[in-house]
Amino acid sequence: MSKSSEDCHVVEGKLALPYQYFAGRTGSRFLISLRDEKKIMGIRCETCDTVFVPPRQTCERCFSDISDNWVALGNKGTVTGYTIIRYEEPHQPVKPPYILAQIKLDGADTPITHIIKGMPLSKIKTGARVKAIFAKKPTSSIRDIEYFRPSDDRPAFELGYTYDELEVGMSASFTKTISESDVYLFAGISGDFNPMHLNEEFAKLTPFGTRIAHGALPQSLIAPVLGMKLPGLGTVIPEITVRFRKPTYFGDTITATGEIIEMIEKRRWVRMELRWTNQKEELVAEGSCLAIPPMPMGK
Amino acid sequence: MKQRVAVCAVAQIKNEPDIWYQRFQGMVLECFETIVEQTGVTFDMDKGIRNVVTCSDDVFDARTISDNAITDVVGAHFRGEEKSCQDGSNALGYAMASILSGHDDVILVAGHCKESQPESRRMCSNLAFDPFYTRPLGLDFLSAAALQARAYLKQSQVTDAHLAKIVARSRENAARNPFARENELVTEDDVMQSPLICDPIRALHRYPVTDWAVAMLLCSEERAHEFTDKPVWLTGFGNCMDSYFLGDRDLSESTALQKAARRAYTMAGVDDPKTAFDIIELGDAYAYQLPMWAENAGVIEPKSAGKWIDSGGPDRMGVNLSGGMLNGNPFKLGGLARAMEVVLQLRGEAGDRQADKAQRGLAHGTTGAAGQHHSVLVFEK
Repeated sequence: MSKSSEDCHVVEGKLALPYQYFAGRTGSRFLISLRDEKKIMGIRCETCDTVFVPPRQTCERCFSDISDNWVALGNKGTVTGYTIIRYEEPHQPVKPPYILAQIKLDGADTPITHIIKGMPLSKIKTGARVKAIFAKKPTSSIRDIEYFRPSDDRPAFELGYTYDELEVGMSASFTKTISESDVYLFAGISGDFNPMHLNEEFAKLTPFGTRIAHGALPQSLIAPVLGMKLPGLGTVIPEITVRFRKPTYFGDTITATGEIIEMIEKRRWVRMELRWTNQKEELVAEGSCLAIPPMPMGK
Repeated sequence: MKQRVAVCAVAQIKNEPDIWYQRFQGMVLECFETIVEQTGVTFDMDKGIRNVVTCSDDVFDARTISDNAITDVVGAHFRGEEKSCQDGSNALGYAMASILSGHDDVILVAGHCKESQPESRRMCSNLAFDPFYTRPLGLDFLSAAALQARAYLKQSQVTDAHLAKIVARSRENAARNPFARENELVTEDDVMQSPLICDPIRALHRYPVTDWAVAMLLCSEERAHEFTDKPVWLTGFGNCMDSYFLGDRDLSESTALQKAARRAYTMAGVDDPKTAFDIIELGDAYAYQLPMWAENAGVIEPKSAGKWIDSGGPDRMGVNLSGGMLNGNPFKLGGLARAMEVVLQLRGEAGDRQADKAQRGLAHGTTGAAGQHHSVLVFEK
C-alpha cells in the first residue's frame, strides 16, 4: 500500500441540511407551554405511577396511552447526576467549561438533562437544588429553559456552624486598634460622657492617669467573633459575663477570642470561654457566654 | 441436535489513527480478498454468497445509505444485501438469524469506519440525540458516558486508580496485538495525571479516534467444511435496547446488557457466565465501562469489580486480551472487533497474546448513548 501523498486529492464536504422536525402533538404541547407560559409539563403514567419528562404519548413500560395525563412540574429541581464539560465542540450550546447535569424537577420522577450556570464548577454536587431560568427570547426548543442556576431555596448567606459541627476546642478571634474617635463615638452611642473617657485633665487625676476606653468598647469586640465567626451567622447569645482586668488605653490593639469549652447536649447550646488581650499579651478582660448555634432558617 | 452457525474466516486491516492513504472501499476490499483467499468462497448463486450484511454509519461516512458505497466492493450486486447501523456485532446476529432460519447458508459480513474523516466524532454522536429535548443541549456520547461514569463509580467500588490500571493494561495487551492501533504505553500515573475532560472521565479514559475495516464469512454447520477446517461456532446471541432518555434509566447499571447477556447465555446453554468463558471481550469505549459491563454481563458479581481488578481478575479471565475498545477501534465496529479477537483466540491464532486452551468466548458490543443498546455473542470451538 503506497503511503505517498503525491496526486492524492481530498474533497472537502459538509453535511448541512436545513430541516423542520415536527415535534408531534405531545411534544408540541410541552414546547408551547414552555415557550408561552414558561411552564414545564410532565406526563403521568397511572399504571406505572411515574411522571415522565420529556413527555411522550405512550408509556414505554406498559404501553398505555398517557398523552392526556399532563402534570405541571415545578421550575425547581434536584441534581441527580452531573459532569463538567471541559472540551470544546461546535455543537455545544455554551462555551466550556460548563456543568451538564441530570435534574429531577419537583413533581417529576425522571430527570432531564440540562446546563447549570451560576455555580462554581467545584461546588456542583448530587442533591444540589437548582431552578430554571427561562430564555428572554423564545427559541421554541428545550433551550426556552436557557439554563438552570442554584435555587434560592436556602438563603444566600453562609450560616455559621450548627451545633453538630461544633466541638470543644474550636476557637476564633477578632482584633482591632481602639482609637480616640472610637471612644468618642462610643460615648455618643452609649450616652456615657464620663470625663474619665473624654477629658484628659480630669483623667490625669484618676488612678489610670490618662483617658481610657469604656469597658464595654473592647468587650463589644467579641460580638463579631460570636455572631460572624464562631459559631457564626445565625447565632444567638442568651448570656454573657465579663470580668475586667486591665484598662484599655487609646491606641491599644485588642484581640477578643472565643473558645468552645462545653457542649450542652440537652439544649444544643454551647458554652464559650471569652478572653480579651492587648498588644502586650496582657489580659484585659475574661468571661464566658452561652451561645445558641444557628438553626436552619425559614424561607 | 440444534443447528450451529460457523464462523469460517475472519479478516481485518490494522487499526490506525488515520488511514488517509486509502478509501474505506479499499480497506474493506483488502479484508474481503483475504476472506476469499482463506476460503475459496465464490458468488455462485447456488453455492456461494447470496447475502451480504454490512455495517457502517451514515453520519461517520457523511452520506446516506452508506452501504451503497461498498455494495460493489463486497460483491453485493444482484443478491441480498442488508446494512446494520447498530454496533457491528448485530451484523453477526443478523447473519446468524438468516442462517438458522434456513433463508441462506453462506453470508459475508463486512464493516468499515473512518473516524478520522469527520471533523469530530462527538459532533457525529450529537446527532444521535433527538432534536427537541437533548441535542440542543450539546449532549454527545462522551458527555452521556460521563454522566453514566459518575453514577456507576458512585455505587461501585471502582476508583480512579482502578480506571488507571485498566487503561495501562489495555495498552500493554494491545502491544501484543499486531492489528491493534499503535499507542504509546502509559503508566497508571500517566492516566491519573491526564486532564479531566468530562468529569470523571479523563483524557486517557476514552478510546482514541480510529479507522478500521473487517470482514467475516459465516455459514451453516453442514457447509462449514467446504470453507475451513477450523470453524468457530456462534452458539449464542442476544441483544437488548434500553430506554432512550438518560433520565428514564438508572445509569448506574445496565438492564439492557443484563437482558442481552441472559438471552445469549440461554441460547448457548451457558449456566454460569462467571466460569463459562476462557476469553471475554467487552466493549470498553471508556475505562469505567470495562468493570461496569463485566458486572452487568454477569461474568463477575455485582459490585465486585474493584476487588476483581486489584486481584488481577481481567488477566485471569482472559478479558480484552486484544487491548479492547479502549486501545482503539471505530465505535460502530466495536462489537465486531471483540468478536474478531474471540474467534482468533478460539482458532489459536492470537499469537503472543494467545490464551491457553480457549474453548468458549464471549464478545460484547454496545452503541447508543451510555450503552443504550447491547449485544452479547457466545462463540465455541
